[in-house]
Amino acid sequence: MRTNYRMNSGVRFQMLSDDQLEEMFWGVLHLLEHTGLDVKHEQARDILEKAGAWVDGERVRIPSYLVKESLRMAPRSFTLYARDGNHKHDIRIGPGRAHFGPGPTCPNFIDVETMERRPYVNSDVPAVAKMVDALPNIDFCESLGTVSDVHHDLGALYEFAGMFPNTSKPIVAWSYDQHDSAGIHQIAVAEAGGQRAFEQRPNYVHYCEPLSPLVSTFEALDKLIFAAKHRIPLIFTPCPIAGGTAPVTAAGIITQGAAESWMGLTVAQALQPGLPFFMGGVYSVMDMSAMILAYGAPELPLFMAGVTELAHYAGLPLWQTGGCTDSKCFDGQAVIEGSMSVFFSALTGGDLCHDVGYTESAMTGSVFQLCAMDEAIGYSRRIARGIEVNDDTLAVNVIQDVGPNGHYLKEKHTRRHFKSEFWYPNLLDRQDFESWEMTGGLTLKDRTAARVRDILATHSPAPIKPETEKAIEKVLAQAEERVQE
Amino acid sequence: MSELEQISTAILQGEEEKAPKLVNRALRRKVSAKDILENGLLVGMGEVGVRFRAGDMFVPEVLMSAEAMRASMELLRPELISEGVKLVGKILMGTVKGDLHDIGKSLVNMMCEGAGFEVIDLGFNAAPEKFVEAIKEHQPQIVGMSAMLTTTMRAMGYTIKAIDEAGLRDRLKIMVGGAPVDAEFAKRIGADGYGSNAPAGAELAKQFAGAA
Repeated sequence: MRTNYRMNSGVRFQMLSDDQLEEMFWGVLHLLEHTGLDVKHEQARDILEKAGAWVDGERVRIPSYLVKESLRMAPRSFTLYARDGNHKHDIRIGPGRAHFGPGPTCPNFIDVETMERRPYVNSDVPAVAKMVDALPNIDFCESLGTVSDVHHDLGALYEFAGMFPNTSKPIVAWSYDQHDSAGIHQIAVAEAGGQRAFEQRPNYVHYCEPLSPLVSTFEALDKLIFAAKHRIPLIFTPCPIAGGTAPVTAAGIITQGAAESWMGLTVAQALQPGLPFFMGGVYSVMDMSAMILAYGAPELPLFMAGVTELAHYAGLPLWQTGGCTDSKCFDGQAVIEGSMSVFFSALTGGDLCHDVGYTESAMTGSVFQLCAMDEAIGYSRRIARGIEVNDDTLAVNVIQDVGPNGHYLKEKHTRRHFKSEFWYPNLLDRQDFESWEMTGGLTLKDRTAARVRDILATHSPAPIKPETEKAIEKVLAQAEERVQE
Repeated sequence: MSELEQISTAILQGEEEKAPKLVNRALRRKVSAKDILENGLLVGMGEVGVRFRAGDMFVPEVLMSAEAMRASMELLRPELISEGVKLVGKILMGTVKGDLHDIGKSLVNMMCEGAGFEVIDLGFNAAPEKFVEAIKEHQPQIVGMSAMLTTTMRAMGYTIKAIDEAGLRDRLKIMVGGAPVDAEFAKRIGADGYGSNAPAGAELAKQFAGAA
């Protein structure tokens, strides 16, 4: 079979067999139908009951036909749009396309000047967004931190207000409650040119997080309902910890996590059929000696590959995880853990891979880790692109022309392909020893720090519209008033 | 864009057909060969060097520029001689005895041609006596030697010895290069300089010729 031969040049990667996937798929449906979840939101329970779910107090069980109906309604392919119409910043969700971005809500940040750990502050938000905007392999934006120097209820809102003007790449926004969500949405809609225009070209994704094991919390569902009503693409992402809040086995944690996501899916599709929906999230192990959720464990990319394959089997895009580390500083551990997980994520094609730039098990955000991972993602993407085989790439004629002991440097074939066939590093050094020594004998850490500072000093993102600037001012002023009351 | 600017741009963009045509046209319009070389061709190659070192140009592109330069120089060289302009220089290049590796040396050749040198290529597996004969015949200012293997790099020392014994060493600058070679080794065998890569080799040749 040579149909679509050129299309099939990517690396073949599949971890689970179709039989295994089918068994897991029915496992999730069984869990939703027979065990169910506690749904801590009355309106959500009403929506579910009307759709055909069985409600018993807070416990909601969903018959499998209803889950399958919800899966059928959710799209597998859609586009998240750059706010400024720059197509290079659009994200096209679909099979075989892995995208990457930072994560949210770390309490600490690695200071750009001193490289020391300190609390995350409001002025860090634009810096992270600018880095995201400039780095070629980072596709969407989160802030890498929770703003600590504004009113404690307004962190998420200030965060969005700081990110939005400083990158035109799509943003993934979390929030504390519906007030935040409404403010964030006003800003995005102002830029899009109204609710209808936003629905056609959504420029951000709403993120909410249920609780493991098996609880749909009030806040998660309240935000989900807001997003569904306003047709905001949605991420519903649990964070199960194997051996703690989920079964210790890989198949077990994936089954439970998927059930948690699909409860959200059913509510969302009942409210807004066809709403773009990502299942998620962060699946890893509880380290049984350090008692942390390990962000650098090999089980994280392993579990995430499994849940990616299950999501794609069920026809949903996935909120992936990678590029993160348990290391406390920019060292070999940070680069090993981060690089391994982004490479595995690139192979799985998990649709939006977040937490790139997390260090210290999600306690500290780092643009240095983000910048180094941009390089690792570029490297991984080259491998995942695979080998293209056709007459031109086989180069039989070129080999004949050059002959024994000739060279290819001057061949037109070389000139035509050397930029697309090879990947060129931005941070990794390949100079000979003399040149390396002459250029200062810099380490990866030195070069990463220099690139971060260079980008922050020189990069200017596309501006937002004047009416959006006004919307931001208004939303923040109203929010400040609300918290005074 | 002025005539000379067009020439330097053609060199920078590696247009090996257009560059000599522009040189020809300039000569017909009575622009001096010296002016074409110094304010056209060498300006273009200078910019190529800057961009290559900054990582903005890559080897296949530099070679295209070097090709354009070589083709232009072929046209220009007789005119330069008749104008009495001192040429940048002549380089004799070869991979030493016992070594069949050609590509590294060829790269240095192309880079040197790009810098305006005339290059005589002895090919690979060139014995010391072949170097000596060629020096007598071509009278180069610079001799370059290449070796790829630790087993063959010793032949560089033997070749320098042979050049010395033939009484030719004093009028020459000798540069060496190749994967296993380093500055320390170059010093030990009595070479005048070492280049760690092809552009560095061409830079070294320019220094030797006083053209840097």
